[in-house]
Amino acid sequence: MPREHLLKIGVSGIRGVVGDFLTPGLACAFAQAFGTYVGAGRVVVGRDTRSSGEMLHHAVACGLLAAGCEVVDVGILPTPTIQIYVGATRTRGGIAITASHNPPEYNALKLFNSEGLFFNSYERGELLDLYHQSDFRRATNEEIRRATADYATPTRLHIERVLRHVNAARIRQRHFRVALDAVNGAGSVMTVGFLRDTLGCELHAISIDPTKPFPRIAEPRPDTLGDLSNLVRSVGAEVGFAQDPDGDRLAVADETGRVLDNDDVLALAVDAALRRLPGDVVVNLTTSSVIDEVAATHGRRVYRTPVGEANVVEMMQATGAVIGGEGSNGGIIFPAVHLCRDSYTGMAFLLERMAETGETMSALAGRLPRFYRKLGKVSYAHGRLGPLMQALEESFPDVQTDRSDGLKLILPGGWIHVRASNTEPLLRLAAEARSEGEVEELYARVLRLFEESGTALFDTLA
Amino acid sequence: MISQQAAKSLRISHVGLRGVVGSALTASHVLDFAAAFGTFLEPGGAVVIGRDPRASGVMMREGLLAGLLACGHDVIDLGIAPTPVIQHSIRRRDASGGVSIGASHNSAEWNALKFFGREGTYLSTAEAGELLDIYHLKKFAFVEWNQIGRVTEETRAIDRYLDDLAANYDFPALRKFRVLVDCCNGTSSLILRRANQRFGTAFILINEQIEGVSFAHEPSTTRDAVALQLAPLMQPLHADAGFLFDVDSDRVALAAEDGTPVSEEVVLPLLADYLLPRGPGKLIIANISSTALLEEIAARHGGRVVRVPVGRQAAIDALSTYRPEQIALAGEGTGAVMMPQFRFVYDGIASMLAVLSMLHESGRTLSQILNSYPKYSILKGQVPLVTQRIPALLMDLRARYSDGQVSVLDGLRVDWPGRWFHVRVSQTEPIVRVICEQRGDPPRELFDALMEEVRSFA
Repeated sequence: MPREHLLKIGVSGIRGVVGDFLTPGLACAFAQAFGTYVGAGRVVVGRDTRSSGEMLHHAVACGLLAAGCEVVDVGILPTPTIQIYVGATRTRGGIAITASHNPPEYNALKLFNSEGLFFNSYERGELLDLYHQSDFRRATNEEIRRATADYATPTRLHIERVLRHVNAARIRQRHFRVALDAVNGAGSVMTVGFLRDTLGCELHAISIDPTKPFPRIAEPRPDTLGDLSNLVRSVGAEVGFAQDPDGDRLAVADETGRVLDNDDVLALAVDAALRRLPGDVVVNLTTSSVIDEVAATHGRRVYRTPVGEANVVEMMQATGAVIGGEGSNGGIIFPAVHLCRDSYTGMAFLLERMAETGETMSALAGRLPRFYRKLGKVSYAHGRLGPLMQALEESFPDVQTDRSDGLKLILPGGWIHVRASNTEPLLRLAAEARSEGEVEELYARVLRLFEESGTALFDTLA
Repeated sequence: MISQQAAKSLRISHVGLRGVVGSALTASHVLDFAAAFGTFLEPGGAVVIGRDPRASGVMMREGLLAGLLACGHDVIDLGIAPTPVIQHSIRRRDASGGVSIGASHNSAEWNALKFFGREGTYLSTAEAGELLDIYHLKKFAFVEWNQIGRVTEETRAIDRYLDDLAANYDFPALRKFRVLVDCCNGTSSLILRRANQRFGTAFILINEQIEGVSFAHEPSTTRDAVALQLAPLMQPLHADAGFLFDVDSDRVALAAEDGTPVSEEVVLPLLADYLLPRGPGKLIIANISSTALLEEIAARHGGRVVRVPVGRQAAIDALSTYRPEQIALAGEGTGAVMMPQFRFVYDGIASMLAVLSMLHESGRTLSQILNSYPKYSILKGQVPLVTQRIPALLMDLRARYSDGQVSVLDGLRVDWPGRWFHVRVSQTEPIVRVICEQRGDPPRELFDALMEEVRSFA
């Protein structure tokens, strides 16, 4: 991995490999900038189960206290649970110490405003300027406030919120046999309680020890969830759930152990949400068209945004959407619970759909409109991006395009989306069509174009 | 040009990190010092930490934990704890070092980090220099993500410390004393309340509430501070002895049973009087600014005073040049005393117990003992510093008082029979200190002349 990506300080906060790159000093300074920005009040700090989490918690607490904030430690919790608590308790803001789905050597700070939402792009820019100017508030002995803890309330609040929007009694009646892989992450304790005690499932769980390292690649994708598939088959589970280390992302296996495409999981959640609440849908440009078809059956509109949770959230705020997310990464955002990715809402929705319909997970997924997708990435030389995109656009002269994040070409029978990665010198490709043949043809056509234009390396993801 | 204010409010030196929190001492100082100490210590060992009750200690603790954990050290956190207890726990837990968060006798807006090595003692000047170099270089030995340390909390530290005190002092014999203690809202109350529970001692505590923002009075262990609240209460409460501790309990000052506040200079001679006959050590290590009464007391018991420059580092370095059994005690004229049976840790509580044991064994009152000493009068003054004129000032004084015995160990000290003065630059504040002592009445004339002389160079 190129060295420059071992630490990234930017508008989305600070992220890096802990040790020589993401140091306690950097975390402390960033937290002090944050504390200066949100003002001297209560700030919530929580974390996922990474072994660097405790150390970084202390660095962050130091910076916040130094800025005159009171620190409320909520311990190890899923990111959505922290966000809901921040919003519900009207604190000045919150910091989640988590690198989400990144490998265990990484960590990062996710920053929330007083409503428990990601800062908008303007706020992020201001905070970053403050950090770079080192223009921090420095509290005196009289101004320094306490460090307190609240370990019980956040989980209760989060589960109460979810239960307002599902029929828990109906789920409990079914005593679903459920498999869980919590990746030894922040959901390890809470998810077990949620599925077993709150929703009355017969739970078969692996990787629920928050003191242990991640036993698999942290991102929950079909290719990383072999253990969950095996568990589903061996215990005869009706559904399997997998979370990422900070419990915002969800992946789902059906009763045969097959891990569903994350876009299909989002589609099922969109369907469930639109059955209860009238409103529109927001997804990113790379999310499958299956969402448009599901929304259309409810007579609802789909807005598209650039890739990134913050972009989806901002558009959801602007449009008053009732459901949204990003298909490829398993993020389901249901603002009635909270305007954040929340695996718990996702699990509850799917279990309720199973209870309502009496259908298996494979049957529910099987009734979704079928699309074929192909994802890949291509490395490119800096400075060649513009000509590349132009060449691409010119070679598809008569199609609808979307330039809001890279280039998306929307053809009658499918689409292809090419965008530069924010974190690596890569172009990410996503193509979708109604048949496998069409998507392969579309994808191959774009790759050929790149080859002809001299873009060097190819590496295709499954 | 550095402003006087900046120079006053932050000090990074061999003694560690000390400053006014917010305006001078910041979170990044704490983080960097913690990381430097984590880098300085041998890898792998645990580190004991504790803090005094200052509100800023909460912030400093977080930064200290982050830096130590990031360097791969496990941390044993004692919470709010007296400095001597932290030092005791380092040895007991076989830790590789320790840190005390607290500004001791400074006012509440200050805070500091004090660093201890494997034996629980202060770092030598050579070690402290290495720590400073690492701090300035900012090349820290952060470990990989899966080697980061863990924090555990320790709640029995005060009890284990009291066990050690009980092995050295006869607590049952000390129950008969009514002892009035001014805790100055610091950590000494934690020990003394527990001692009352466990040993039935009669420590009566005032200002015993742990307090983070405003102390009942300046927490300095001086006669003036004793005179504020402790001394006036001695007779009304029929106390046999009175003690005042600084916030982190490493220093002590005294009040006699008749309500007399005792000069801070007398603590060291008093303890020398008690400890020298008990042997085996015959040496007293003291700085050249403390009372000449010490020499008289030492002579009574066949002891000898080794005079060193002012400051903790000089005493620490001098100690390491002797075998422990050669030493009777070491300390300063500020109520900070180290004893060999407590492995040379400044310990106000142990000092107090030694004084009480002395009362018990001698059957005399504190004022009777103190009145048996020859009278010495000491005058102390200070003048703002103009650094570049110091050498000229000292040369001038040296020429003027060339009839005495001259020492240039630290500034200028001149001795005559029964009289001496010492002019030196403070290590903690931008001032010149003038100290003048005489057997008998105050050396007012000499003192006034010296002050005028020093002021003429300001």
